[in-house]
This record gives sequence, structure tokens and C-alpha cells, in this order.
Amino acid sequence: MTFGPNVGNVGMYVAREMLAAVPEDQRDAYLRMVEGISDLKYQLGVEVARQLPRLLAQSDPELVARYLSQVTAVAKLGWKSGVEVAKQLPDLYEAPDGELADNYVDIIEHATTGIAEDAETTQLSAELAQLEREIQEMEPKVKRAQELRTQLAAQDRRDEKRKKHAVELAAALPPLLARLRPKHRQVYLEQIQKIAGADPEASLEAADTLLDLLNGERVSSDGAAEWVSRGLDVLERNKEVGRGYFRLGSKYSIEVLEELREGLALKSIARVLKLYATALSGRDVAIRSTEDSNSLEIYTVDHIVLPPDMRVFDEERQNFAAYKVATAQGAGRIEFGTYQFSLDDIPETVDAIRIKYWS
Amino acid sequence: MVVESQRVEEFRLTKEPYYLPLGNEVELFEAAYHARLPVMLKGPTGCGKTRFVEHMSWRLGRTLITVACHEDLTASDLVGKYMLQNDATVWQDGPLTTAVKSGGIAYLDEVVEARKDTTVVIHPLTDDRRVLPIEKKGEIVQAPDDFMLVISYNPGYQSVLKDLKHSTKQRFVAIEFDYPKPDLEETILQEEASIDADTASKLVKIAEKVRNLRTHGLEEGVSTRLLVYAGQLIAGGVEPLEACASTICRPITDDVEMQRSIIEIIATQF
Repeated sequence: MTFGPNVGNVGMYVAREMLAAVPEDQRDAYLRMVEGISDLKYQLGVEVARQLPRLLAQSDPELVARYLSQVTAVAKLGWKSGVEVAKQLPDLYEAPDGELADNYVDIIEHATTGIAEDAETTQLSAELAQLEREIQEMEPKVKRAQELRTQLAAQDRRDEKRKKHAVELAAALPPLLARLRPKHRQVYLEQIQKIAGADPEASLEAADTLLDLLNGERVSSDGAAEWVSRGLDVLERNKEVGRGYFRLGSKYSIEVLEELREGLALKSIARVLKLYATALSGRDVAIRSTEDSNSLEIYTVDHIVLPPDMRVFDEERQNFAAYKVATAQGAGRIEFGTYQFSLDDIPETVDAIRIKYWS
Repeated sequence: MVVESQRVEEFRLTKEPYYLPLGNEVELFEAAYHARLPVMLKGPTGCGKTRFVEHMSWRLGRTLITVACHEDLTASDLVGKYMLQNDATVWQDGPLTTAVKSGGIAYLDEVVEARKDTTVVIHPLTDDRRVLPIEKKGEIVQAPDDFMLVISYNPGYQSVLKDLKHSTKQRFVAIEFDYPKPDLEETILQEEASIDADTASKLVKIAEKVRNLRTHGLEEGVSTRLLVYAGQLIAGGVEPLEACASTICRPITDDVEMQRSIIEIIATQF
């Protein structure tokens, strides 16, 4: 015989040798009995499966029914007692005193159940059950309260942070305003106010960036407003990313700026200007953007420093001409050594002048 | 067997080619000719090497046979070859053999471009033997005293794959050419293109600036020949900016940015 789907989980409790010990015509019934008792507790099924073959071998259906009934009765009071009773009963059934097994089961049932509850215990139990029901009903509210508590605490922390950054902005803004060109004041203040309302920390970043953008003529008033507007969209989605945007620390921010730039970009004509200056001066000239140069470098090597974009005129041709004029001036400076003079040359220069005019 | 030589007199110049000496190259060339020494002319494209040889050919009263060397030019092309003509096999002298036999000037322009076997032919002509071996005929032609071999060589074009061997270079008297000095170049332009001094001066200034771009993307600067072309177009009524763009800018580079910068340089003058 093999276990099929109809056997359910009985196969877990019934070893092959146990089944072999059961007369073939009773094997189905055996498996169903084990399955039935297993519903109470699987440990009971294991023990009953061990003991039943011995009882079935006696071909006494009443004895088997008595066994299952007594085991079930004890197990309902306490499953561990039931397991022990299931193990001991077959031996007790074989005792000369036929009532011994029944007396044994009575004792174990009483021992498992204990004495009947008094009125006070019953009342306490009822009260406890009621309280437990109420607690159970309160659980969602408690959980919600905890959530609100966490949210409000986070809000408080944000408020604290916001106030801290507002203080920082209050300290940082006046020196920035002092550096701001008057013509950009209105647009600068409007935009910073917008950002400060959304996130003071981002406005701290923007205050610095926007100052450079406007003072450096890298963006027009309308361009600045558009750049801020797109940044606020980013800030709304993610504060940290938004702050990076206003710091010009994100690719998107730089892309938006490039898109909003007006006039002629130096990048697009840098090589043409380099070749032009090299041809004019006869020296290997480099073109650098003011964005990439620091003030010390400007007059020390053969390079011409130009603004990153030219927006003096409306037409590109004229802006290119403006670049060309600036480049030609730089090429002349390089060719004729305007900035090559150094203090160390003074003695030599004085000697040369003396020889030329006084000798 | 019939031997056919080209008619040498066709290669004699009857009119003096214009040439303005830049240094002592005329005297040097004449001295080499009288000493029966071969000459190598070195210099960038369009600086006047060929014109100089033409001028010296006229000045010395010698015929001039010029061979523009290229990568498929073989020793046979220079010396000569048998050709089928009707039912006969005809020996056709090559330009070098013709020049040797007639005692003229053989000018091998950009000789480094020719195949290596050409140098084997050149070597015996360039030392004191002054002979031309014609292998296919089993003949050796002795060059007369008035024969002269001249080659031109542009060092800017050479690479690891194409360069003259030292054993070849060291057989020649080298005369080095470069673009003429501004005042001389102006004179040349006025003479060659029939333009006024102001236009010539502007063209030379443009050339000076454009030549500064050598090693910055330009393989060679604008040549005097191209300046002459520009002058000729201007003299012919073409608007100066367009004339310069067509002669000074577009022929020397395909790089759009380079072209734009050269146009801007031209625009500073016109």
C-alpha cells in the first residue's frame, strides 16, 4: 500500500513498519483514526499511531473505540496528559481488573481539570476578558497615536532645523546683498524669498549661487526666475536633491542653466578664438573662461581670459565680434609682453635706459 | 631596332621666367652647375623652387626637363623602355635619359615620392662618374659637362615611411628655401599678380599670420603661389575677402574652425 493524497498528513506520523503491523483490511480505518486524533494535536497522532496497531490486532472494535474516546476526552482537557494517557492505556486495558483503566482516566481528567472555579475567580476572569477585549479594540488607536507622535516629533525637529537655517540665512544675506549689483537686486530678492519659504537651507545655497549667476551675467532676470522655478520643483520632490540643485551641484541644475543662457557661449567658439589669437600673436595662446581662472593666473601665462558667454548684443555675429575684439587685445598683450615686466627687471631696465640716454 | 628620342628643343625656355632672388641661391646654383654638382632644393610647397629652376635653366641657357615624381614612378619611367609600335619594337628614352643625352637640366620634383629603384639610377649620375646606366639596353650613357641633376625635397612631407636616404641626400648640394621675407614677397605679388602695393602688403600680412598656425592644425602655411592666385583674382575683379577665402583659406584646410579663424584673419585686412 502506498500513501495517496487521501491520506493527508498521516504519513508524517505513521512509519512504514507501523502500517505493516496493522491487518491489511483495517489499514484504511487505522489511518483515518490517526488522522482524526491528530486534529487535536499532532503529538497525539504520533502516539496513537504507535499504540493502535497493538489494539487493532486484537480485532476488538469496541476496545479501539473506547481507547480513542478516552484519549480524546483527556486530550481536550490537556494535550500533554492526552499523549501520556494514549501511551499508558493499552497496558492498563490488559490488567485483570477491567475497571482499572477507567479509574486511571478519571484521575488524570480530574488532575488535569482541577477543582471548579469559585465565583470570585469567575468574576475576575470575566473582568480580565473584558479588559483584554477593550485593549484589543484600542490597539489601532494606540498605534495611530504612536505614528502621530513620531510625525509630530519629526515636524518639531524640522522646525528646529528650519529656524536654525533661518538664523544662518539672516547672517549670510547682508554680506551677499552688499556684493550684489544694484540692477539685480529686485530679481535676486524675489527669488531668494521664494526659496526661503520652501526651505531655508536651500535658500542659503541659492543665495550664494544666484549672486554669482546674476553678477557674472551668466543668466538674465527671466532666466534666473526660470532656474529657481525648476529648482523649486526639484525641492518639492526631494529636499536633499533640491538643495544640491541650488548649490549647482547637480547635472540637471547645470543643464538648466546652459539651456537658459543667452548670447554666445565661449565654449562654442573657443578654438576659433584660440587659432585667431595664435595667428595674430605668433604664440601658442590658450583661451580660458573667467569661470575656470583665478585672478593670479590671468596675467602670468600666454592665455586670454574671456567671459563664459557674450551677451552685449542681440545678434550672435556682433557678440562674436565682441569676443574677437577682446581676443585681439589679449593677443596684442601677449605678443608685445605687456605683463612680462617684473620687479626683478628694474636694475637691468635702469641700466639700459642710462646707457641709452646718459652715456 | 629604332631609337626614338623626344625633341629636346621643346624644353628650352625662350622667355625669362620671373624670379626674385631671396638670398645667394642664384650664385650658389651657378657655382654648382659649373662644378658639375647635383643640387637639392629644400623648402615648403609653393615657395618658388620650381620657378627658381626654370629661371636658372633660362639663365644658364640649358633645356629643362621636369619630372613630377609620384609613388608609381619607376626607374624605367625615368630611363626609358621598349615599346611596341606597329610591327617593331621601339626604344623610347625616358626624360632622364633625354636630359642626360642633351646636356640639359633634369629636375625631379618631389623625388622622395618615386619608387626606391629610381635612386639606383640617380646615384651614378650624382658622383664623379656622372653616368646613366641603361640596364635594359646594356648601355652606359656618359653625361656631358653641361648636364645637371636637380631634385626637390619638402622636409615637411616626410615620414618614417618616406624619406630620402642619407646616402642619397649626401650626394647633393642643398639650397634651402622658405617663404620670402615680407618686403620681397610684396614685390613678387605686385610683379606676378599685377596688384598695387597696398593689396600686396595686406596679402603678405595675412600670410604671415596664417603661417603662425603651422603646428597648430595646419600642415603648411599659405604659400607664395596661393598669394599670387589671390592677387590675380583680386586683380581680376573678385571681391578681396572672397578671393582670399578661395585661395588662402579653403585650399589649405578642411577644418571648419580653422577656416573660420583664417577668414577672421583675412577680415582684419580686407
